[in-house]
Amino acid sequence: MKLLKTSLPVLALAGLFMILAACAQMKSISSLPDSHPEALTTGQQVNCSECHEDQQKGTMKAFAAFSHSATFVKNHRFYSASDDRLCSTCHKSSFCNDCHTNKVQMKPSTKYGYRPDREMPHRGNFITLHKIEGKLDPASCYRCHGRANNERCVACHN
Amino acid sequence: MKNICCRLVCSASLLAFPVAASAADISVDSSTIFRIENRDVTGAKKQTLLPATQFLGLDVDKLADGNLSLHFYGWGRADLGDKSYNNDKVDGSFTYGYLQYRFKEANAAIRAGRFFVREGIINEQVDGVNARTELPMGFGLSAFGGATVHTKHLYAENSDGKGDYIYGGRANYRYKGMLELGASGLYEGKAPTLANYTNGNHRLLGGDIWFSPHKTIEAMGHTSYNPETKRVAEHTYLLNIKPVQHLVLSGEFNEHRERSYFYAWTMFSGAALDPAEKSRSVGGSASYEITRNFEVVADYKHYTREIGNADRYGADARIKFLDNSVRGGLSYHYLRAGKGFAIGTNPTASYHEVRGYAMHDSKNYFAAVDALGYFFRDKIYNEKSAWEAMLSLGYHITPALALSGDISYGRNPEFIEDTKGLLRLTYNMTFDGKGGKK
Repeated sequence: MKLLKTSLPVLALAGLFMILAACAQMKSISSLPDSHPEALTTGQQVNCSECHEDQQKGTMKAFAAFSHSATFVKNHRFYSASDDRLCSTCHKSSFCNDCHTNKVQMKPSTKYGYRPDREMPHRGNFITLHKIEGKLDPASCYRCHGRANNERCVACHN
Repeated sequence: MKNICCRLVCSASLLAFPVAASAADISVDSSTIFRIENRDVTGAKKQTLLPATQFLGLDVDKLADGNLSLHFYGWGRADLGDKSYNNDKVDGSFTYGYLQYRFKEANAAIRAGRFFVREGIINEQVDGVNARTELPMGFGLSAFGGATVHTKHLYAENSDGKGDYIYGGRANYRYKGMLELGASGLYEGKAPTLANYTNGNHRLLGGDIWFSPHKTIEAMGHTSYNPETKRVAEHTYLLNIKPVQHLVLSGEFNEHRERSYFYAWTMFSGAALDPAEKSRSVGGSASYEITRNFEVVADYKHYTREIGNADRYGADARIKFLDNSVRGGLSYHYLRAGKGFAIGTNPTASYHEVRGYAMHDSKNYFAAVDALGYFFRDKIYNEKSAWEAMLSLGYHITPALALSGDISYGRNPEFIEDTKGLLRLTYNMTFDGKGGKK
């Protein structure tokens, strides 16, 4: 107990020293810009490697990993989970929240009917399809309707 | 009380919006949408729906010393005809609204207000505070805490089944541009007791990985653990291989222990599910950009559940011309699924899915056509298919202001006929923007 009492201030001091040292070194870690320096064409399947190949600095991942191929778009959840700072240089939060939100007013494919090229969930008559798809892969329902967007679900499922 | 304090602090942070922001970048996104739908449901009277919806987004950047920004997004709706959504003729949502301060170093940022958190296994909407930073030697930290954003009460309940507060965070380590390891967790306050559902507390721990030993290989994914059930909830992993330029071969593995993963899914009483039940899907795809303007994708996925196995396979082709102003696509998929997945007493749930679309966006006009059909192997409610075709036409009144209209018609097992019209006025303006428009 005595040893603990003696070592606590030492440990606290060491911790404070480490935090100060880390803060001092953080000045050398630059931040991403808050927006992409050049405008990108709407609807373009952005290929980051056209300009950025092998230009990553420090611990940054290669920009080529973020090129918007069909595979990237389909699996973008993996990238957004650790690199949403990079996403936010080109996309506003509302771009994500058209689909990923707590309360959706209309299907994103209805809101953006003029953009059939965008990947959007539940196009067409999904009311019929959900009776099959829900049994096939309920985890895919849970991500968006598990704890939100379930207001209409309870009309039948209660 | 804790909940109220949290919301007050968040609201106060928004009141701190500096008025003297002459050098600020202001961006406004507005969409006003009038929908007209005739709904003819089997066994019910015909309905005419006339909902008017306003979406509004506001982003004010470069406030104060240039690193402070304000972000807001929400929508409101009024039904001018029959009720379009459950029992409310007027509805709205405050999707997000927060102040953010971005530091010039270490990608550090602090947010206060209502925001979404997406970090590792965390995917939440919170009224509270979020801070994150990179640290020396490749480490990083992110933490958030605040009040849970509640949704509509569940049917015949006094709650949406969520606890009142939530906190969590993620710590990560990155090594050069080849490895990232993350550990994340969240803890939501005790879920309220409900009369008609067996609900569970929302608490998760997890780890994530991104590994790219060579620029042609990339593996990533995460595993989450539910401390309430003391079992793994989810494994989800993806492997991308790029053997030659423009070709991506991809493999995925997903497994969910249903009781643990759905534990906080009140509506389907996740906490009451069989602990042994799990679902698994394994799949692969190959996407190839044949030219800069033409991409094809072939994919396959196998599903395994207690109620049976299923397979889905198909292909997509996408094309674009004239400096990206004309875009089109065709796709075909087939789902082979047995009786366990079928609707009613049908012997199978198998169906074909066919879709085609084309769009053109010029300086003055824009137009799109989209047709999607599902063709069932066994009739559903005496219908062999569900299909919908849509035409959209629009005019750019100014570069920022556009008026457009959509009309669609379809037939399907649920709605004998589904006719929908829509009128849309969009305004997307950035004032004093430098750099790319978001």
